[in-house]
Parts: sequence; structure tokens; C-alpha cells
Amino acid sequence: MSKLKYKIIPEGMLHDIFVPMSAVFIDYADVKACNLTMREACEKIAATIPGPAGYNMFDMTATTTNSDGVMIDGSMTCMAASDYGKINKDFGYLEMVEVPYSEELIKEEPHLKQWKKSYPDRRLIMGPDPKVKKIPIHNATLTGRAGNNNSATEMMHYITMEELLLPITGQIQIMKDGKVELGGTGYVISVGIGMVVGEEYGRIVPHRQFKCGTSAHNSGEYAKFLKSHIPVIAADKSELVKYIIQALQTGVIPGKDIGASPAVLSVARHMGILPDFDNMTQASLDELADVGFTKEWITADVEKLTPEEIIARAHEIIPGIDNPKKYDVSEVVQVKYIEV
Amino acid sequence: MKLMHTKLPEFIRKMKVAAATKGSTYKECEVVGLENLKTAKMQSLRTGRIEQAVEDLAKMEDVYRVEVAVIPRIPESMHSAIVRGFDKDGNPVHAVLETINILHPTEDVLIHDCPDIDDRRPPIGNH
Repeated sequence: MSKLKYKIIPEGMLHDIFVPMSAVFIDYADVKACNLTMREACEKIAATIPGPAGYNMFDMTATTTNSDGVMIDGSMTCMAASDYGKINKDFGYLEMVEVPYSEELIKEEPHLKQWKKSYPDRRLIMGPDPKVKKIPIHNATLTGRAGNNNSATEMMHYITMEELLLPITGQIQIMKDGKVELGGTGYVISVGIGMVVGEEYGRIVPHRQFKCGTSAHNSGEYAKFLKSHIPVIAADKSELVKYIIQALQTGVIPGKDIGASPAVLSVARHMGILPDFDNMTQASLDELADVGFTKEWITADVEKLTPEEIIARAHEIIPGIDNPKKYDVSEVVQVKYIEV
Repeated sequence: MKLMHTKLPEFIRKMKVAAATKGSTYKECEVVGLENLKTAKMQSLRTGRIEQAVEDLAKMEDVYRVEVAVIPRIPESMHSAIVRGFDKDGNPVHAVLETINILHPTEDVLIHDCPDIDDRRPPIGNH
């Protein structure tokens, strides 16, 4: 008998936010140590949870991108959703794909220039293979009342219709026992989510459907409301900012290579980096301006700061999250073990 | 015959007839999930099989009523949103077509507490 470790945020109130279904976080290294397949690990944990739950498994030795196209030190390997102790056989489980390096890939997805500079020895694991998944549009798993969507960054309850936003950088903090912020998603992040990059195996949208510099939301003044009301568990801003600085130091340009989200733009201007306005659509500029990130704001002659200074002042520099409260991960998750 | 389709009202009537007549006593059958459809053609091959399923349950002595819930087999469905503007006389004068993808609960919400389940559906992709 082995013991499989996992972390769980149980369904219900978590400090000041409501978690609509249990969220489970599993380390792929622990699964391998128990000689289980990824699906078996999810099923064994699911058997102990009677209510709706989502499962996100991470390989912390791999890399992937967040929705801005910023690369991070860890990636999901699979996602699942369970209810009544079971995972739906058709729709409840989905694995992510490893993408091999090629010059063609970097040409088509230039944000991945970061890969060999920031994480040269790591496997790149992106979203699921569109040809394998059984639902037509979203990268989602579903069982009963539980939904785990957009490659495990949104968990939603299909009866109460309540939702939780889990940006992957926040989940990486959960895996690392780091620091997170809880609050409301708010207007700024709602707009920022729309500033995507094109990826063949995108964790949110496949087939390079959206070009960097455009807005996936493309809905004008309505974009800021799309996710604003949803509770969020995000990385502590001092941690998020490290990834953005690291990306910008590799030479990627906001609005051309990586998404010109408010968070990216807020860091870039203190590093003296301007977005590629010529490559950005008017719709994306309008959505940014609608939440205060006008061209005048983006190009303002602000104080140039070192990376260390930006990290130290991250909470002042990075916008977003309504009523944010900072927590150590140990105050947010429970660590549990099951015998397998 | 495989390609023929059944009218929606006929589909509903067939289910009610099967439940009402095939058991040892009269049993009610409610068809739910199709309320939003005013007109539709229902796959005949499957109509017969669902009638058979209703009959099978109606014949069971511990069954007092039957329900046929029709939900999307794939729990994400893509729809068109037809946004139309009408003039003062009620004639459509402008339209915008958009899509909206809808995620639904899976069948587990209806069967999780049912002790006897006979899944007669073909595998996805094999319909």
C-alpha cells in the first residue's frame, strides 16, 4: 500500500470567497511514485469526495503558458471533474499534450521564444489535443454538477451556476506552498483574460484561432463584465510579477508576441518596454482603455525600475482583484492522503 | 426505415402510450427536456428503442410512473443566436448572427441515486 498525497480546497466558504465545488491539486511526481496512471489517481481521490469536484494534476518539472502567453515553471498534465464519487467515463477526464520543439513552432507561436531562454530543459505541456476531446468547443471536463473548464482554470457548478477562477499562476503557488490572493476577479482581469495569444494546442483556445494583439472577447464595453463577478484564487502579485519580468527579459513584445494584458503592460512600462500598438486591434485598445489602460497611460513617462524594485512594489504596480486578501497556501488548502 | 424520422408530437404520444398500455396497470409517462422545441423530427430508429425502454420499465411491478428526460448527449452544445430587429409593423429589418456554446450537467445528475442502470447507448462517435 502506498499513500497518495493531494491538496484540496473543499466546496463552501474559503475566507471571504465562495468555492462552488471542491478543487483538488495533485503532483504528477506523487502519482508516479504510487505506480498509478493519472486517471487512476483522479478516480481514487474522486471515490472519497461525494460532492462535485475538479482535479488538476501538475508536472512541476514541465513548463506551459498562462493566458497572456507568459511561460511558467510547471504545467498541468491532466484535468478531471467528478460528482457523486465518480468521474464520467466520456467527459470527466482529459489529458494535456506535450508539444515538441521546432523552429516552425517558434515562428508560428513567437511567445514561445521564452522556452529555450527561460526553461530550456523542461517539457512543454499545453492544452488537450482537439482531436481527442469529446466536447466540441471548450477544453473542459464534466461530470454531473461539476465542470472543470479552460484547461482547469475555471471550475463551475452546473446547478447553482456559481464559478471559481483559478489562473494557472495561482495554482502553481498552491503546488509550491507559496502565496495566493483571494478576492473578486473584477473588471481589469476580466479584460486581461481576453488578451490572448495564438496556440495550436492552446490551453484555452486551440488552432491559433486568435492572433496576438487582438481581443478574444471583442465585445467592447461589455468585456469588463464577462468575468468580473467571479471569485478568484490568484498568485500573490509579487510572484506573478516574476514571471512577467522573466518573459519581458527574453525580448517578447506585448501585443505582438505576448498578450497586452493590464498586468503585462503595467510591468512593461516600468521596464521601458512599449507594446506593439501597430499590431493591436482597435477593439483590444478600446477594451483596455475602458478599464483605464489608455494609450496615454501605457506610454506615460513613469519611473524606470529594476526587477527587484518591481517585485518589491508588485502590489502597487499590478492592477486587478477586487477586495484582495493575501494568504499563505497553508491557510487555503488542506493536505490529505489516501491509501492506494 | 432507418433514415425516417418521427414528428415531435408523435414521439411524445408514443411514449405515453407505451407507459399507459404495456404494464399491468395504467402508468403515466412524462417527456421532459424538449419543451423549447415547437417542431422537430425525431430519429425513428431511436424512437422505437426509447419506446421499448419505456415499455420495459412500465412492465416492472415496482415502477409506478415513467419519465423520459431528453438531454444533450454531448454536454456542450453549440447554438446560433439570431438577433433580429423588427420594425413598427413587426417585420424583421436587421439581423446579427452569433454563436453561443452552452455547457450542461451530464446524465449523472439524473441517475446517481438510481440502483439499476442499463446503458443502451452506443459509444460516442458510433451513432
